[in-house]
Amino acid sequence: MKAEIIRVLGKPPYGPTLTLSKIVLAAYVLLALAAPAIAPQNPYDPLQIYGWEASSPPGTTGSGGYIYLLGTDGLGRDIVSSILYGLRISLLVSITSAAIAALIGLTAGVSAAYFGKWVDVAIMRLVDLQLSLPTILVALIAIVTLGPGIDRIILALIIAQWATYARVVRGVALSETGKSYIDAARLMRLPTSRIIFRHLLPNSIAPAVTLIPIEVGHAVALEATLSFLGLGVPIDKPSLGATVANGFQYLLTGQYWISLFPGLALVGLIASINLVGEDVRRRLDPRSRSI
Amino acid sequence: MTLEPADIPLLEVKNLGLRYLSASSPAPILHDVSFELGRGEILGIIGESGAGKSTLGNAIIGLLAPEFQRTTGTIQFDGKAVGAADDSGSSNVRGRRISAIFQDHTASLDPLMSVGAQLEETILATNETLSRRDARARALELMARVGIPEPDRRYRDYPHQFSGGQRQRVVIAIALAGSPDIIIADEPTSALDATVQKQILGLLRNLVEETHVSIILVTHDMGVISEIADRVLVMRNGRVVEQGVTSTILEAPRNAYTRGLLAAVPRLRISKPVPEKKTGRARTAPSSDCDHKSPTVTAEGVSKAFSPQGLHWRPHQGTIGFALRDVNIQIARGAITGIVGESGSGKTTIGRIVAGLDTAPAGKVTIGDNAFDVSQNGRRTGLLGRVQMIFQDPAVSLNPRMTIAETLRESIRFGAGLAPGEERPDMMAMMDRLGLARSLGDRHPHQLSGGQKQRVAIARALLARPEIVIADEPTSALDVSVQAEIVQLLKESITERNISMIFISHDLALVQDLCSAVYIFRDGRVEDSGPSDFIFSQSRNPYTRSLIDARPHRFTH
Repeated sequence: MKAEIIRVLGKPPYGPTLTLSKIVLAAYVLLALAAPAIAPQNPYDPLQIYGWEASSPPGTTGSGGYIYLLGTDGLGRDIVSSILYGLRISLLVSITSAAIAALIGLTAGVSAAYFGKWVDVAIMRLVDLQLSLPTILVALIAIVTLGPGIDRIILALIIAQWATYARVVRGVALSETGKSYIDAARLMRLPTSRIIFRHLLPNSIAPAVTLIPIEVGHAVALEATLSFLGLGVPIDKPSLGATVANGFQYLLTGQYWISLFPGLALVGLIASINLVGEDVRRRLDPRSRSI
Repeated sequence: MTLEPADIPLLEVKNLGLRYLSASSPAPILHDVSFELGRGEILGIIGESGAGKSTLGNAIIGLLAPEFQRTTGTIQFDGKAVGAADDSGSSNVRGRRISAIFQDHTASLDPLMSVGAQLEETILATNETLSRRDARARALELMARVGIPEPDRRYRDYPHQFSGGQRQRVVIAIALAGSPDIIIADEPTSALDATVQKQILGLLRNLVEETHVSIILVTHDMGVISEIADRVLVMRNGRVVEQGVTSTILEAPRNAYTRGLLAAVPRLRISKPVPEKKTGRARTAPSSDCDHKSPTVTAEGVSKAFSPQGLHWRPHQGTIGFALRDVNIQIARGAITGIVGESGSGKTTIGRIVAGLDTAPAGKVTIGDNAFDVSQNGRRTGLLGRVQMIFQDPAVSLNPRMTIAETLRESIRFGAGLAPGEERPDMMAMMDRLGLARSLGDRHPHQLSGGQKQRVAIARALLARPEIVIADEPTSALDVSVQAEIVQLLKESITERNISMIFISHDLALVQDLCSAVYIFRDGRVEDSGPSDFIFSQSRNPYTRSLIDARPHRFTH
């Protein structure tokens, strides 16, 4: 019994759970890419929206000649189409921000380790400061300062996430810096940039790279939260989180579908990214391989 | 030996075969290993890395990972079979009657527990009937037994408050706690300095004589074997290639591999008077000429304090200790100069300062006609890159993500300053010279053996066309049989290019073989220095003498 609990809870996902999350994640990505082709409606195009069909329950046949499978929102937008288009925005924002944050964080962490002294102190105190505040607070402050817009929210997410990478990579880079191949590189009088990017970074990067999928999951959730608070993407180009927020006020009047279905889509997305991300981490990180 | 004729041997291993069940294919680890161990006997098991000697030790004690599967043979301890995979009683045998000492004395002790408490814990675990008071008394007795001065006072001390040698003594005391019949000692002195090593081996020998415990000594070091083992088992690739009484094996080895191992051990010559240098080393300056030759490198007045650990906004107040104190050395042109010392003597630090990798607040390094400031302010004066280094551990001195050819090309391009695209002839010539197959160029370091990696490291250093090379313990991470080749290759390739070399080592015989002049370092100072022949035969410095005496006698003549 105890072994069973450990098997289910204590280990990374595997077997059917993992296979299912891989299929789900792949489906999400495909749906997001194919959204313009398969969505019954373009929710960004006012001409395709029929305002008088606002808040139709699931199953209503609309004026466009198709059935609103999941109903429409308060503006008459098809929920299915909103989810598909929202997915695009959510994935774009989270993947872009996680990738750029990784790039910045890795460079900062490796530089801190290699240069040491005041460079290290400066970068790592900034990281400490950043990590001592809740991520959502950092993102909130950033977005309030920067203003709305998709590019701004990407920037805010980068600001909120780079520090994690920097901290992880610094530790590894610090031990790599002590190895004699770095001394040998210095004796060759290699340019500092070459030592960092050709020698130090490739050997320090592995644990930090395994963070990327997990951080993408975080970014989706973070973006959804910001959007839900009305501070995220612009209202005319809603992400999943913004779509949930749009329906929030209708929940009390019984029009549950506007928030519920995008919310479920969001939960499914984050869960599948996290499960697959955990698997990627387990495969890439040699320290956890034996577990 | 105390083995009574009628006795059955204490431990008998018969036709033992083991294999490792890996994911891909089961790999055989041990083949048909047989030996006996009598009471009060020290059996040495010697072999190079991968010979299966540690696995054999673990099999006896029952510490094998589940992936190891016994294919053939038996292990009989005191007449009873032990060590079978399903034998749940083996842990009992293990703790009480067979105990172990491992190489890494730091990892063998719990850093958060006083040594007294650790001893007490082990004593109580092996003898449940004892009271705490008795256990404590026994712990103190054991500490005294293994030669820890003032056991009463040191009882509550933590492992970090002991020196390496004392820590290993504590580990031995813990191993003795259950009054075992057999102690398996896996490289017990490999992490210790020569003088300390000798003391620990002496302690083990005394224990055997006084308590009739038997010891299985697993090591790669012929010197250790020759010091204390009664009998030797020579292993290679999981097989016993030769076994017998130590003196017989050392004096008349029958197996070619054993002969190779013995020949590879550098021998110290301390015969006086010193004969004239033989021909064939014409370039090496006779000792008296040393001072007349213009030195190519000098380091003057180099001092360095241990840097405080961690980050500090302001320089640390108060000095903790000196890594180097007013060190002066001169390296003759085209000659090999040795720097000898035990760990912590500052020999590596001075090398790194001369190479420009580290800074020192005081001192000056001169190369040829150029003087360099080695302080923090002088970092940009260009000392870095004048000297190339060959490092101790080839496993970490090559970038694991670059192929061998990429590593070498980088040295030619940035070190020697050739244009990109012109590296190939240099690289191929060097690889040929150092006996590296050209096909290795496309490999990554982890696909090479230790010896091959060290050849690549030598190639990298030489391809940068330095005037001076510093070799910091270049062979101590290598197997004995490879060491001699690497030293020979290094010596030849240095002399044929007329490069000066600083050879840093703890191995006196190696330094005597290679170097025309020697500096002996101790606690950050130059303790003794002079021409090699003088140091090894006539120096009256007591520290130098103690280093020479610490050598196993069999390898000194």
